[in-house]
Amino acid sequence: MSADEESGSLRPPLAELGPPQPLLRTLAPLLRGLERPLRAWLDSRRKFPLSMMQRAELEGLADDLKRHSDTLDVEKPLLVVMLMGGTGVGKSTLLNALAGGPIAQASFTRPTTRDPVVYFHHSVKSERLDPALRVCRLVQHDRAGLEQKVIVDTPDLDSNDLTNRDKLIALLPVADIVLYVGSQEKYHDRLGWDLFKEQRQRRAFAFVLNKWDRCVTGESGVQPDEDLLADLKAEGFQNPLLFRTTAQLWLDAAKTHSGSGIPPKPVDLPAGEQFGLLRNWLELGLTRLEIEAVKARGVGQLLTQLTRIAETIRPPDLSAEAEKVKAAWDRTLEEEADVQADVLVGTLEPYQTEVEHHFSVEDQQRFRGLMAAYLRVTTRLRYAGSGLRDKIPFGGLKGKLLGGRVDTPVEWNLGAFVQECARTAGERVLDQRSTALINRLLVEAEAKGFPLTLLTDPATSAGRLDWRERMTLAVIEALAEVEHQATNPTGFRRLVRGMLSWLANTLPEVALVATVGMLLWNFFVPTPSVTPGMFEMALVVLIPLVVIVTLHLLILLLLPVRWPAIRHEFRKQLGVRMAAELSRAYLAIPGEVSAAITDERKQVDALVAEAKQVGDWLAERQQAARVAELYGK
Amino acid sequence: MQPTEHRSAVGQLADDLRWLEDHCRRQPDLAAQAGTLRLASALTRNVIGPFLEGQPACPLHICVVGGAGAGKSTVVNFLAGDKVAEANPQAGFTRHPTAFLPPGPGFQWPSYIGFMGPLHRLTSDKPADTDEDVYAVKRIPVPSGANEKFAHPLSEFVIWDCPDMTTWASEGYVARLMEVAALSDVIVYVASDERYNDAVPTEFLHLLVKAGKAVVVALTKMRAQDADAFIAHFKQEILGRLPKLPTGETPAVPVVAIPHMSIAERTDPTGAGAKYRVQLLNQILVQCESDDLTRARTVTNAAKYLSTAGDGLLDVARRDLAELDSWKQAVNAGRATFEDRYRREYLSGEQFRRFDRFRERLTDLLELPGTGRVLGGIFWALRSPYRWTRDYVFGLVARPDVLNLSEQTVLTGALTGWLDTLQAEALRKAGTQQSLWRQIAVRFDSELGPQARDRFATDFRTFELKESEDLEQAGKALVDGLEKNPALLYTLRGGKFALDLTTIGSVVYFTWPPGWFLLLIPLGVSAAHQFAELATRAVAEGARHRVRSHRESLVTGSLSVPLTTWLAEWPTTGGTSFEKLQQVLRRVPDAIRTMEERVKAKVNEITKPKDESPALSAPTPGAPTT
Repeated sequence: MSADEESGSLRPPLAELGPPQPLLRTLAPLLRGLERPLRAWLDSRRKFPLSMMQRAELEGLADDLKRHSDTLDVEKPLLVVMLMGGTGVGKSTLLNALAGGPIAQASFTRPTTRDPVVYFHHSVKSERLDPALRVCRLVQHDRAGLEQKVIVDTPDLDSNDLTNRDKLIALLPVADIVLYVGSQEKYHDRLGWDLFKEQRQRRAFAFVLNKWDRCVTGESGVQPDEDLLADLKAEGFQNPLLFRTTAQLWLDAAKTHSGSGIPPKPVDLPAGEQFGLLRNWLELGLTRLEIEAVKARGVGQLLTQLTRIAETIRPPDLSAEAEKVKAAWDRTLEEEADVQADVLVGTLEPYQTEVEHHFSVEDQQRFRGLMAAYLRVTTRLRYAGSGLRDKIPFGGLKGKLLGGRVDTPVEWNLGAFVQECARTAGERVLDQRSTALINRLLVEAEAKGFPLTLLTDPATSAGRLDWRERMTLAVIEALAEVEHQATNPTGFRRLVRGMLSWLANTLPEVALVATVGMLLWNFFVPTPSVTPGMFEMALVVLIPLVVIVTLHLLILLLLPVRWPAIRHEFRKQLGVRMAAELSRAYLAIPGEVSAAITDERKQVDALVAEAKQVGDWLAERQQAARVAELYGK
Repeated sequence: MQPTEHRSAVGQLADDLRWLEDHCRRQPDLAAQAGTLRLASALTRNVIGPFLEGQPACPLHICVVGGAGAGKSTVVNFLAGDKVAEANPQAGFTRHPTAFLPPGPGFQWPSYIGFMGPLHRLTSDKPADTDEDVYAVKRIPVPSGANEKFAHPLSEFVIWDCPDMTTWASEGYVARLMEVAALSDVIVYVASDERYNDAVPTEFLHLLVKAGKAVVVALTKMRAQDADAFIAHFKQEILGRLPKLPTGETPAVPVVAIPHMSIAERTDPTGAGAKYRVQLLNQILVQCESDDLTRARTVTNAAKYLSTAGDGLLDVARRDLAELDSWKQAVNAGRATFEDRYRREYLSGEQFRRFDRFRERLTDLLELPGTGRVLGGIFWALRSPYRWTRDYVFGLVARPDVLNLSEQTVLTGALTGWLDTLQAEALRKAGTQQSLWRQIAVRFDSELGPQARDRFATDFRTFELKESEDLEQAGKALVDGLEKNPALLYTLRGGKFALDLTTIGSVVYFTWPPGWFLLLIPLGVSAAHQFAELATRAVAEGARHRVRSHRESLVTGSLSVPLTTWLAEWPTTGGTSFEKLQQVLRRVPDAIRTMEERVKAKVNEITKPKDESPALSAPTPGAPTT
């Protein structure tokens, strides 16, 4: 088929077009409105981790949004057509043939083009070009057909000079349409094909099979163009734009042709050569309408991509898992609290006489008179050791008795003493248990489907709290609670206690008065008066003493303050308190993290919704332009 | 050395390298290494193995390689002297190698075990684009009109037409290319004016030079007038940057230009295209002065390449090994914590109260036996006030012990902590699918954790037995030491008795007549007994201390060390790829070393007698004829 016929069918029916709506200019602020929250989201601190790749992709997307919004915000947007292909396939020759003269260097040394060449209309100020293009070699022309188009010749993608590939990849985001240039040797090459597959969802693609003369050899087998078309079909390009060209012949013809105007058609073109068609498509096929459609489609692809990535980075909903984790943690923490309470009580064990002493002294406060005096004396005798111990220099022995660590406080001081106990327990057992606990909790969370990485930081910082301080407080509170219970019993015990107190505060005095009274009576009233002997005189002391001792025994029997009795209650209280402390520190974590994650999820959803809104708006205004073949499925 | 022995050694090495290659292919970021490993295993299988087995050097192999569309098939046709290979405009058409044999029964087709590895010989005639692990063998027809004396210039060579390595489909068949490239003695590297500076074929060329292959470059498709400038440019750009041969020499690579030809030239290699063909044949034959020497060079270079590149080949396993190392480190750190926890949580507070009875036994032993008991009873009674006072004071002053968690609780807690740390670490580091940490994380709950706990439970039972036995033994040794030594025992007993009597006697003597001073008697007796008690206490405390320190080593020896070893080795057991990897890494360097030595020995064997016997030294290939 001839080039002219083909170009006619490619050209859209111009007459039917009305004045174009300012679609792209409206799009620009919309894109800016998308870019800003995306950047803000990227810069914000988030709990849900983003992989390096995802981050890079999102940043690239934000850059693309910015680029698009900038380039669209003008009266006549520029369409960037970029040539892409391996070294030696004839990209530069193609551009030269299009320009009708040697504007890009072409030779047999490979790779030839090391710096990209940008070919654009002289009415376009170079400031309007994308910053990435401004640093390339700029060549201006005055061809009206190419007024709104910028054609870029790029370095190769497959030579030993790897910097060329980097240059190409840096330029690619600027391209609206990529002209994939292949030759008989290279149309099938992996490097180019991989790049095409990576880019095809982001921009429009048209294909050129250059050096067409080498493809028509008359040999048997599948022709390269058929082969390429079949591959493109497999990639979803049902009806791609494929131009079979021999640019060299056109360039040679243009060289011999002097003067202005369209260079003549070379004489010995191989069959099916379509360079003219390519030129027509570039000059006439891509009208303002097509340009807008390509631009809009590019934005649409960008939005699709944004939505797709957003789907992959959308944090999962972890609230159900958080509940499960909380339940599992609750059990673990309770067990841990049990063990910790055991350890703390075990550490208090050596101090049991001190604790007993303390309780006894506290307990005595309610007695008065003779009973109080008696108790003070007996307590002093009974607990002589707890005072004595600290006054005798035992040296190393004292250390040995306590596992070699604790210095007993010199004064009996509840706070200091408990602190000391918590320190000992911490150093021996609890510090290591705290570290182990965090790992336990994390592993359990992972088993319940809550990613461990999300919980590591908060759990570790909870583990770094001052647990000794908390233990000290828990021990003091538990002791106070037990003491309170001992001094303010309820129910039957209260009755017994009240009665005993009352008896203890009255009976000894009554006994004393009664004995003295009886003696006095015997002395004064009867005749002859009885002179009390030694024994009778002693009774004054003995009878109240017997009463007091009896009462004391009763008290000890009915309301014991011995360590084994205290211990049990104390252990229970301590367990409750440690459990409360642990739950307060850890149990809230899964909920908080999942709430934060849910927040992030909402942010992503909002971003996606906005992108979708813009996408929908764009879809409604998609115009009937012939660009579908530039995009596969 | 028996051929079978060579065969199994070579087969093992080739298999190991093949396994490494597959291992790489499974990991996307290592896939690039797979080609090199394939070349290494193919060199072992196709070149070194047959040589050691004593297979004949003839035929030599020429392998034509190059990027898609560079003109490989055209070059093959030129070498064959006939249009035997399908030249096809479709890039990447050829998908499996084809061998072309010169006409006439010049040699036997190599058929030893392991030849061409997994590639099978095609029995039926299939087109060159059959994408299977096969190779075809075709015979070059005798040219029509040839007289009976006709001899093909490459009559001792097999010419291989290979698939390309540049098209996107090549990933599937580049391994076949490697197989043939490894086999060959001479490589014809075809580069077109469009391709010659492409990264992928150049990388392949570098690999071949590193493997010590003789290379002839055929530059194609340039305009005839550019040919000289082009060759100069190629020499500077590509050949100037070639790596060194395995021998350390700079490779000398001849370049032949085959410019863009007309259809007539292209289709008639012996006629219109003969000028290019002769050049090419000459360069090939110059590379191969005699079959044996050429083959010896190929084999020596291959062995050298393997030994120099050996470590590099194993680099692919470096990441896995690093991960294994980090796992082992984590396990060892866990062990340190485990032992520390045991020390602090249990040992530091443990008093070994069970040991007290041995101390009491020891004190008892010092008392007189038999009728002496009566005397002992009297002394005991005399000491009563002292005993009461002592007990009371001690009760006042001594503190009760810290209550420990039980040993089992402590150890189980420490084990849980250890496993949790490892699991958390594994979950944190679980990256790609193939990563060791990932595999550990996946199999932790189902396999590693329960297995470790089981092992620990078993170990703990033995440990418990051992530890109580240990305590008993230490105590018994203490008591036995005295009981089994009657001399010492009776000396001590007599000494104590004498001390008691002396005390009583001196009190009576010095304070006579008896009065209140007799109270000094119980006091003195008590003092003597206290002295004895202090002595036994000191001995017993020493033994208790030993028990404590021995307990620590007992935990290390029977609990933590076995578990550490088991945990550290766990990823490399149970038929996992890591087990195989470790085996391969251990075997390969040794195998390469022995193989290189054997090759050296054999090469010497071949070259020396040849220098002496003139009958064998005559060059076998005939002069190039066209």
